[in-house]
Amino acid sequence: MKRLQKIFEWLDQRLKIGAAVREAMYHRVPRSSGSWFYVFGSSAFLLLLLQVVTGILLALVYVPSASQAWNSLQVLNHDITLGWYLRAVHGWGSNFMVALVLIHMMQVFLFGAYKYPREFNWVTGVFLLLFTLGMAFTGQVLRFDQDAYWGLGIGASITGRVPLIGAPLVHLLLGGPIIASDTLSRFFDLHVFIIPALLLGLVGIHLLMVLKLGINEWPMPGRLVRRETYLKEYEDLVQRDGVPFVPDAIWKDMVFGAMILGSVLVCAAVFGPFGPRGVPDPTIIQAAPRPDFFFLWIFALLALLPPYMETPLILIGPIVVIALLLLVPFLSGEGEKSWRRRPVSVLTVLVVAVTLGALTRFGQEAPWSPVMNGWSGLPVPAQYLKGRSALQRQGAIVFQEKQCRNCHSLGGEGGKRGPALDSVATRLTPDELIRQVLQGGGNMPAYGHNLSPAEVTALVSFLDTLHPPGVRPARDFAEKGLPLLDTGHPAKH
Amino acid sequence: MTCWRRLPALLPALFLILAMAGCSSLPGRPGLGPEVQRPSDVMNFGVLYKQNCSGCHGPEGRGGPAFPLADPVYLSIVNDATLRTITAQGVPNSLMPAFARSAGGMLTDQQIDAIVEGMRKNWAKPGILAGVTPPPYSAPLGDPKRGTQVYQTFCQSCHGPGGKGGAKASSIVDGSYLGLVSDQELRTDVICGWPHLGAPDWRSDVPGHPMTAQEIADVVAYLAAQRPKFPGRPYPGQPSRRRK
Repeated sequence: MKRLQKIFEWLDQRLKIGAAVREAMYHRVPRSSGSWFYVFGSSAFLLLLLQVVTGILLALVYVPSASQAWNSLQVLNHDITLGWYLRAVHGWGSNFMVALVLIHMMQVFLFGAYKYPREFNWVTGVFLLLFTLGMAFTGQVLRFDQDAYWGLGIGASITGRVPLIGAPLVHLLLGGPIIASDTLSRFFDLHVFIIPALLLGLVGIHLLMVLKLGINEWPMPGRLVRRETYLKEYEDLVQRDGVPFVPDAIWKDMVFGAMILGSVLVCAAVFGPFGPRGVPDPTIIQAAPRPDFFFLWIFALLALLPPYMETPLILIGPIVVIALLLLVPFLSGEGEKSWRRRPVSVLTVLVVAVTLGALTRFGQEAPWSPVMNGWSGLPVPAQYLKGRSALQRQGAIVFQEKQCRNCHSLGGEGGKRGPALDSVATRLTPDELIRQVLQGGGNMPAYGHNLSPAEVTALVSFLDTLHPPGVRPARDFAEKGLPLLDTGHPAKH
Repeated sequence: MTCWRRLPALLPALFLILAMAGCSSLPGRPGLGPEVQRPSDVMNFGVLYKQNCSGCHGPEGRGGPAFPLADPVYLSIVNDATLRTITAQGVPNSLMPAFARSAGGMLTDQQIDAIVEGMRKNWAKPGILAGVTPPPYSAPLGDPKRGTQVYQTFCQSCHGPGGKGGAKASSIVDGSYLGLVSDQELRTDVICGWPHLGAPDWRSDVPGHPMTAQEIADVVAYLAAQRPKFPGRPYPGQPSRRRK
């Protein structure tokens, strides 16, 4: 033990960092800050380190070339012992990291930790969030499968909408006018060198500021932040009721970090790596690309925006959102810290969370996308064929063969672009069905030119059987002898 | 007591042994081959059938609106070349589309072979027609006049007088229906029946009295003769309003 101490002393005489480390370790933090709410940032940092280590190992095998990337991931998944596990840990680590950064940010916002004098902790934090998302996106590109390929295509299309410099920007992003080998090299550079360097450097500044300015104290309702008095009050608090960071506060960070690390390892073992899915070959049209989980909300938003709003919102929206985030500490740098007295902040967080959650859910479902193989791959539910005539059965074939199923569901299966047709006969009379099929309308194309009269007749005779048992199908008012309401009396008009 | 004290040192080793033993069977481990195959590399009959055929022919080759392919009687009278042609090029004047790339579909010739092979392997029952001489799969149309007689003998009890539908079965002379099925499909229906709908094959329409090949050709001709020139006018009673 003594020998060890001697070595340390020898080293410290030459390096002179012992004092700084000791200061960082034993600096006093408010007792109230040694809380289970103050552990998210450190865990996000821990995951960043995990990502660096697993990323270095992955880069030993991964080949950043458009023709080899997908195959090298197959090698990792199948041929290298535990290669799949390495990929899984990196992938799940990424998901956990984005989630933790978001939770950390929410906690900082709700606890007012961005207020004077910690404005720049928040500003660096906003950039750390952007870089983390940048890592997630570029990492998804490096997976170089169909999702990555088409995701890049969408990214490039968005970039191309920038006025005046759109085209040069796309060239800069893709390394040329199309997605090719240069594209992957660029994203490899971004994912492995540029963004990690920025991320690690900024994390250093972020942490240094936490150390120098002191961790935020637990917000008490009614204890207001004032520029004139805050520093003194904080100093008094730390002196009066402070504890050394090591070991009084750090043990919670360590326990939570271990739990997060364990969760990542378990998720990786149970759910495995993400993809790679299909080969990134644009000639394969049987592709339904989806972005990764944390970008599903953007996918949904872009799909649901009315066309006239697309370009302005895509180009101006991000700037406004980032500017607002950066301005937060300067707009409300003083005053109440506790969420209990900041209803607007709490509501903002709730609205943002609900909006993102709903959009993510939509993104998973993507009801706006037709199910392109619904017509040939989804059987007609058996109950809709029971006791049907030969003509009605032919109508069911027309329904499938003309790909109505790609947009309309039967029995819950099929596209969600158009309405489900399980009870369409209660809504439309046979004549209305014929008109709708021939002329379209209400977002449906006209099929008059694509269907023969026999096909229309068969189709409508099938559709007219689609009503719940015991509910009469819709009939024309003028049809004689038919009861209008189920009263048992014939209609009179 | 000493045992417990040593435990922390042993734990990592224990964990490592367990991990090495278990890692090959962890649930997250990817299965063999890529997660998503190149669509043209899919050769598994079950997958091909489900993606391309089940929409009309039913989940297991029966129970759909289109002809039940899992009928062993059908599979014993049709040959592979015919199945391949139908799958690859579709059937003209019917709703069966072409699936081969050469005909505008999405499947390679190898995949079409895999589908035909899979149908035989999974659904055919060799020897189901042992001792029976089945009528030929295809033949020219017979005499529609004689077909009327044949219809009355073999079909009318279910499909009603004139084919317009009866108590047990629906109309098979509806103009739109006839406009959407080929003569060959009518013939296949007569020979094989639709077992799961209760329509018997050519041997059992009248028990103990199988239809002869001639009778089949005649009754198909009788049905085909009722196909209107312009099938499917929704208001057949009204004069058509054509622009001059």
